[in-house]
Amino acid sequence: MGALPGAAAEPVRAAVTFALAIYLFGLALCVIGNTSSGASLLVRTIKGKIFTPFLAPAWLDLGFDYPFTYGLPEDADHVLEVAPFGDPAKRLRFPGDMAGERARRWRRLARAITETGGDPDRTARVAAGVAAAMFDAFGPDVRLRVLRRARADVGGVDPGRLDEAFAARVREIDGDVQLIRDEPAGAVAPVVVPRRDPAGGTEPRP
Amino acid sequence: MSGPAARAPAPDDRGLGDVWMRFWFEPTDPRPLALVRILVGLLGLALLWSWQGDLGRWCGPEGLVTPASAAAWVSRGDGAWLAVVDAALGPRGVWAIAVASFAALVVGAGGTVVAVTAACSLSLLLHRAPMLAGPADDCLVILTWCTAVAPATRAPSLDRVLAGRGRVASAVIAPPAPSWRARLATGLLQVHASVIALAAAIAQLKGDVWWDGTAAWWLAARAESRVVDLTSAYAGSTYLMNLVTHAIPAFEAAFAVGLWASAVRPAIARLGLVAWPAVGVLVGEPFWGLAMAVFAVPFTGLAWGAAASPSHPVTRRAGAA
Repeated sequence: MGALPGAAAEPVRAAVTFALAIYLFGLALCVIGNTSSGASLLVRTIKGKIFTPFLAPAWLDLGFDYPFTYGLPEDADHVLEVAPFGDPAKRLRFPGDMAGERARRWRRLARAITETGGDPDRTARVAAGVAAAMFDAFGPDVRLRVLRRARADVGGVDPGRLDEAFAARVREIDGDVQLIRDEPAGAVAPVVVPRRDPAGGTEPRP
Repeated sequence: MSGPAARAPAPDDRGLGDVWMRFWFEPTDPRPLALVRILVGLLGLALLWSWQGDLGRWCGPEGLVTPASAAAWVSRGDGAWLAVVDAALGPRGVWAIAVASFAALVVGAGGTVVAVTAACSLSLLLHRAPMLAGPADDCLVILTWCTAVAPATRAPSLDRVLAGRGRVASAVIAPPAPSWRARLATGLLQVHASVIALAAAIAQLKGDVWWDGTAAWWLAARAESRVVDLTSAYAGSTYLMNLVTHAIPAFEAAFAVGLWASAVRPAIARLGLVAWPAVGVLVGEPFWGLAMAVFAVPFTGLAWGAAASPSHPVTRRAGAA
């Protein structure tokens, strides 16, 4: 093949073959290790230690797992809402009336605030960064919410409702940014213990 | 065995090493990749335009996405070098370089250097705000790196016109010399197209809604991000909803496998030119659909696309020589 016009010289082919073999192995590990399929710790470790350092800077450390929907609430459209604390009337919502890919990027940013990815600090950093950028406009005490647009059940009608997925107060005190996240309702709900039925002597089913 | 009945081994029978060499290194016509280069440039400009209105608000000095939160989001590698890029160019500078590079790809100016610059600047921009990146961005990066591998500007391009002292007709019509880099880039496009399609299909099949036939509804019920509202049609016909749901991963899997069967490769690639944009619209990611259609271009067998095939006359003539 080396005699063909436009063919690569033998040393070039050897070098490219070596690079291809490494890259294709790394690609396979990235696809396996970056999905949420529960890839083994060994795969993730090998990928992280050997391939991530040279694939990640080139934006090639990708899993390509694009389910687009699992029918879950977190697959819904997300809306970012920021307002001065205690003054919801002045709220701003993104993407608002934007359209196209620009609006999709805003929705991804809003969704990112609700996704911990196993690391709650990551969510807090993103949320604090977003809110702190609004201090100039709203003062050093803002309320940040991420809302999910409720979807109709199969065959049903759009409920036109926004559900709260994340809410926090973010304020600046002595130069530090504090994020105080709203407690989920379930965390403060009373625990109900059913009383023993005196007649039957049996406990009702919880 | 050395008698007249013995036949010379066919090229395809010479073992894995030869198959590897033919797949990755057999010189082919670079013109199909020129078409890919032009489409990648246009797609890149379209996606970069979506950053234009909010780039300062997202990535500016007082932007919503701080370098710290960007670094925390991408757990792969440290983000220290982001601060260096931020200080040196700023997001606006990186964005401007990316726009110029993708515009140069459209006209075919600057050769490999421009393609590498386009891929690097796009990667930098995505690293600066990784949570804003979507499937189309991922695929565009892959396409741009493949374009950088190809000698795409050797085919119809401004570079070729200038090298031919302004003879536009000969630059467009005359076939360029076959190149092993064209075959390498085509092979990389084939591998990545197949991997992306298969990974998407597998990711979908992990969810019950893709099995029970309702995924199409949940995609269409997203009132803001859907491209077309098909909820009325789905509500009126469960069969249609089920058909659309099952057709998407079925096509993705067929595309991933079909690219490797020479008998059906042109057919599945041509189907991809239509089906991928349609899938993109149905799932609410139209640019992802367009990017996947670009992956299919070299394998269609249409016009210049035929030259990517090892059985094409250009390649055969080169082989005979």
